[in-house]
Parts: sequence; structure tokens; C-alpha cells
Amino acid sequence: MNDYIIEARNLTKDFNGFQAVDGLSLKVKKGEVLGFLGPNGAGKTTSINMMVGLLRPTSGKVLIDGKEVQDVERGMIGVCPQELVLWDSLTCRESLKLMGDMYEVPKDILHSRVEQLLDDLFLTDKANTVVSKLSGGMKRRLNLALALVHEPEIVVLDEPSEGLDPQSRRVLWNYIRSLRNEQNKTVILTTHLMDEADRLSDRVAIIDHGKLLRLDTPENLKKEIGEGDVVEIQLSDPGKNKEVIKAMEELDQVLSVIELDKIINVRALDAVGKLPRIMGRVEKVGVRIADLSVRQNTLGDVFIELTGTRLRE
Amino acid sequence: MKFISIAIKDFKELIRDRRGWVMILVFPMFFMLVFGFAFGGMGQSNVPHDIAVINHDKGATLPLTNEKVNFGDNLTKILEDSKYENSETHIFNVTKTNESKADELLKQRQVDAALIIPENFSQAVVALIETTIQSQTGIGSGEVGTSQTPNITATLIIRGDTGYVGFGVSQGILVGILEQYQDKLISEVLKNVRGTNGTEQPKFIDSKVELIAGTETFTSFDFLAPGMMVFAILLLATTVAATLTREVETGTLARLKLSKMRSFDLLFGGLIPWSLVAAAQVLILFVVALLIGFHWQGGINSLILAIMVGILGGIASIALGMIIAAFAKSDRQAANLGTLITVPASFLTGAFFQLPQVVIGNFMGHPFQIYDFLPWTHALSALRATLTFGGGWDAISYQVGVESLLTIILFVIGVFLFSWTRLRPEK
Repeated sequence: MNDYIIEARNLTKDFNGFQAVDGLSLKVKKGEVLGFLGPNGAGKTTSINMMVGLLRPTSGKVLIDGKEVQDVERGMIGVCPQELVLWDSLTCRESLKLMGDMYEVPKDILHSRVEQLLDDLFLTDKANTVVSKLSGGMKRRLNLALALVHEPEIVVLDEPSEGLDPQSRRVLWNYIRSLRNEQNKTVILTTHLMDEADRLSDRVAIIDHGKLLRLDTPENLKKEIGEGDVVEIQLSDPGKNKEVIKAMEELDQVLSVIELDKIINVRALDAVGKLPRIMGRVEKVGVRIADLSVRQNTLGDVFIELTGTRLRE
Repeated sequence: MKFISIAIKDFKELIRDRRGWVMILVFPMFFMLVFGFAFGGMGQSNVPHDIAVINHDKGATLPLTNEKVNFGDNLTKILEDSKYENSETHIFNVTKTNESKADELLKQRQVDAALIIPENFSQAVVALIETTIQSQTGIGSGEVGTSQTPNITATLIIRGDTGYVGFGVSQGILVGILEQYQDKLISEVLKNVRGTNGTEQPKFIDSKVELIAGTETFTSFDFLAPGMMVFAILLLATTVAATLTREVETGTLARLKLSKMRSFDLLFGGLIPWSLVAAAQVLILFVVALLIGFHWQGGINSLILAIMVGILGGIASIALGMIIAAFAKSDRQAANLGTLITVPASFLTGAFFQLPQVVIGNFMGHPFQIYDFLPWTHALSALRATLTFGGGWDAISYQVGVESLLTIILFVIGVFLFSWTRLRPEK
């Protein structure tokens, strides 16, 4: 039995000389949540569009459950796009029924499924409200519901929690977990929220410049990039950051030192035990510490380590 | 059936989009009102209409008196002498000529219409008189025992450009006069048979003309009102283009493409509500036109035919909308592009004013003008023929046939281009 439901083989996409995706190969397991991370313009959405058959790759191929993506039955994949893709003049119920009809869901099943989705995503009260009159959070939840009304095997969620308040985000996270745990769906989740990817993903793929940089569990990625803790130091004079970083790099057993948002991040094993030596170095430079904290390594640290701190547009 | 769900979706979106209604109905209604007031005949004085008369009549012998008469000359004289009611203005400026010269005058728009009187016109009139006398007295006009009168029909032809307002007015009046001519003829015969002592020469023809109801107040607006309907139908292309492009722009088309929906479902599903809109446009604008003085010449049959013509024109506009949506990058661009195309197209169909004749060939025995490549030109001619001139299916069958043919061609192009650019997986 094939454990992998999606297999991308050496996918490339070239837009008039710009290589958006460059030899991407990855396999997605059945019933897992795969976090798909990358900076803006890294090629995430392009990769996903190729994987669901909306975009033709320049080269390479995508297999869904062993079949080429263009030969796969349309109802197998559900896509919740990054943007709100809704019919403003239709109500929530009408929108869901329309998409159910488009996927040829039998009427009696569709009726109960629509009501269930409205209930699960807290939209029952707004079932007969036209989309243009919904709040942003409601629209997001409807956007998700439209991707699920035909009960696809594979659910692609492209930045689903963008712009959601913490309450709506919690509803969404619980629902994504239920998709995996209760319905055994395969979920591909792209997000810029490292916390979201860390909490929800079984495995995480990090992509940049169209290339797959890493694919592993969040725990393994954190271990691989840097075990131990991170000491965050904010100096009273950030102009001295570079001087301090140079001094830190000379210390034994310090794994890495980077500057992030004018804060120096020092990664080291047993960081608490090394704190006196770290602070001693700062004093030697002759600058005062405005703030200092110690925290555990996060997926965000991994992401920055791999993709750098340079701003992407 | 998925196309029905798409049709219902489009219909709901359509009726909930108030701004769309403004474009589809209020805008053309506004034009209809403006043109109604401008060309509805208010303060308009009567002017003579230029016509050519070709008299082929060989004459006949009158029953009872055996007098040689030429009713073709008689009719021509009546046309020359006819004046507007309570006015000294003649109704027609008559040019007596032959057929080839008349055709030339028609093409140069020096005359609005040409009346061709056939060889047997007088014989037909005589036959009518004899029949009328026989039915009243039971005796024949000739010798006793030869009372059987042959049934002769003379067909008078009113020739002209059916897309020309001048023709519309002139032919309307001519038809009225010809009906009056025959009615008057019969009533004069009856009067003479029943009430005269035989000393007075029967006066079969009276030169006094009263126009039939409707034509005496026939105005340019009656010719322009169908143009407004075609303008409205053409504007559908703009709305369809904007709607389809919005579907692309908002990503809902991509969502539908991921589903089991086929191109047919989307395009045929969209065709249904938009065709209904075209039918509604014709009906509503027709009512508006009637309210502000449109002289409807046809019966309910003409209205049904007009709606059918409107639906066909609507399908052509939907096809044009698809073509625009195949290339427009945003709904705003689609709307602008649509307006840029539909407004000049309205002018080219002759919806607002008459265009010069540019005949480029002949198609099925009809002159084919450069504007005839547009299906809406034929829609307009058909609407005028049926609503303004009261013509039936025979009067519009050629126009509807060509309109259908051009609509099918345009629709195939529209479906191909839209499917090619929008419904395939992106490259």
C-alpha cells in the first residue's frame, strides 16, 4: 500500500525567465498535515497550484495517489485559497450548495453536509446572509467550508488564518485538527505563522527561491538547526550590535549569533549556564544591556536560519 | 445538471446587483425617454415625403359604361393630390419614373420609397367593381348569362430600404392610402348601385384621403424606439464581460475550474439568465416606448416575434461579452472595453441614426451592406419590421435567419476564446 498520497517529482515552473519553482520534489503522506513554509515569493502558491492541477508545470510531474494530477477525479482535492474567493451576492448556504452541485454531491447528502459545515464553522446564524455582509472572519471560515463541501481526500489550505483574530484562529485550528484526526484527511497548510505551523503540522517543508530546503517534523527541524536555547539580548545602543556579535562569536560552545529586529539572538547549549560569560562579553564592549531573555528554540528560528533575514517582497 | 445551478447562481447575482440593473435597464430607458421626447413628434410639422411611382398599368374597360380607364394613373393622381388633414401641405412629392431609375433614386436616398403599380391593376380594380355590383344586384356587368367575373389580384409593390426611417414613414402612409383606396372604391360602387338614378356618372375614386390610424402621427421615434432596444441588448455585452471577468479576477472561476464543472455548464448556464434579461429588456423598453408615444403597428404576435429577435440579439451580445472577457484583465477594464465596443457598434447598426448605404454584395437576393456583418443590424431591422411596421414572420424571416447565422458564428468564437484563455489550466 502506498503511504504517500501526493508526490511531486522534480517540478519546475518558469515565468518568462523567472524560475518560480526549481526542481521541487516532495512526498506527502496520507492523513498528515504538511506545513508548507517559505518567505513571500518563495514559490509556495505556485507549487501548490501545480500540485492541484491549476497550473501546468514547465517540467516534472505530480502524482496523486499514483495517478497524474490531470487524470485524478476532480473531487479528490479541495483548495482553500489565500484570497477570499467568494460570490459576494450569494448567501453562505447558496454558496455551499452551488459548490456541492459543481462536485455532483447528491442532494440529500449535500443538504446535511452543508448544515454540518455551517455548524462546525459557526456560520449557522449567517447561513442566509449574503457574503458581502459577513465579517472578515466569517468570510474566511466560509472560504474554508467551500473547499470541504465535497469531502475531498486532500485539503489544501493556503494561509487560511490570514487576518483572523485569535478566537477565529482557534476555531480554524481546531477544525484543521479534526480534519486530520477525525476525518483522516491529508492537509497541506501554507502559512507565515510559525506558531501555527508548529502546532498543527506533522511535518514541515521549507521552501525558498523555488527550492525545497528542508522537509521534516518540527521537532527534528528545530534540533537540526540548533539544539538548545536562545538568549535574546537588546542593547541600550543598538549601534553596538555588530561589535557585540563579533565578541560573542569568539565564545566557545556558542552555536550561532544573529541580529534580528535589532535584537541579538545567541543560540547555545545550556544557555542559562553560559549567561555570565555572555554578559561579561557585552560589558567588555562597554555597552549596557537594556533587556535580556532566554527561550527555547522555535520553528521561526529555523525558518530565519534557513531563509535569512533579508526582506522579501 | 450543473448548468442549471450555474444559471440559478448567475440569475441570483444578476437580480441582487442593483448597479448592473442601472446599466442593463435604466440607462437604455433614459435614452428611450430622451429620444422619445426629442423625436416623438412634439411640435413637428408635416412635411411631404419623396416617392417614386412606376405605373405599368395597361388600363381596362369599365363595366356598365364601357369607358376606358387607367386606375394606375388615377392612383398616381391621388397620391400627388393628397394633403395632410386640415393642411395645405401635400403628403407626397411624386416622381413618375421607371424601375431602374427608381432604384437609382432609392439608393441615392432621393426618394424614400417606390410604388410599383402592376400591369393588371386596372383589371383588378374592374374585377373588384364587377364583383361588388354582382353581389348587390345579382347581374353581371356584361351580357346576360356571362355573369362570372374572373378573380384578379394586382400586387402593388412598395420598394425601399427597410432600414431607412424615410421608407418606414412613407410605406406606412402608402399602405394606409392603398387600403383607403380599395375601401373607398367599394363604398362608391355600392352608393352608385343602390342610390343613383343612372344619370350621374359613377365616381369610383375620390381623391380625398384620410390616413389609417397610427400612420398619420408616425414619427421618427417610432423608428428609433427599436434602436433603443438594440442599444440595450448590445449593452448586455458590457455587463456580461464585466461579470465573467469578475469571476476570473476574484478567483471564483478558478474555484469552479477545480470542480467537475465543464465549460458547457458555465457558458450555457450563463446563457439562460442573460437571454431572459434580453427578453425582459425588449418587453420593458417596449412598454416604456408605448407610454411615451410609440405607435405600435403589430399585434401580440409582433411582440412575441420581437422578444424572439431580442433573445437572439442577447445571445450575440453574450458572445461579444465572452470575447471581451477573454482578454480583459479586470472587470473595470472589461466594462470600459465593452462600452468602447458596444456604443460604436450601436451606431453601426443604425440604432441612433441612419447610416449611408454601403452595399458590398448580395446575399440570398438581398443587398448586403458592410453593417450587415453585425447580427444586431438584423435584429434592429427585424424589430422595426415587426413592431414599427407590423410585419409578421414573413417580413422578418430573412433578417432573423441572418441574425441567427451571425450569432452562431459569434457565439462559437466567444466560447472558443473564453475557453482557450480562461478555462484551461494556466500555462
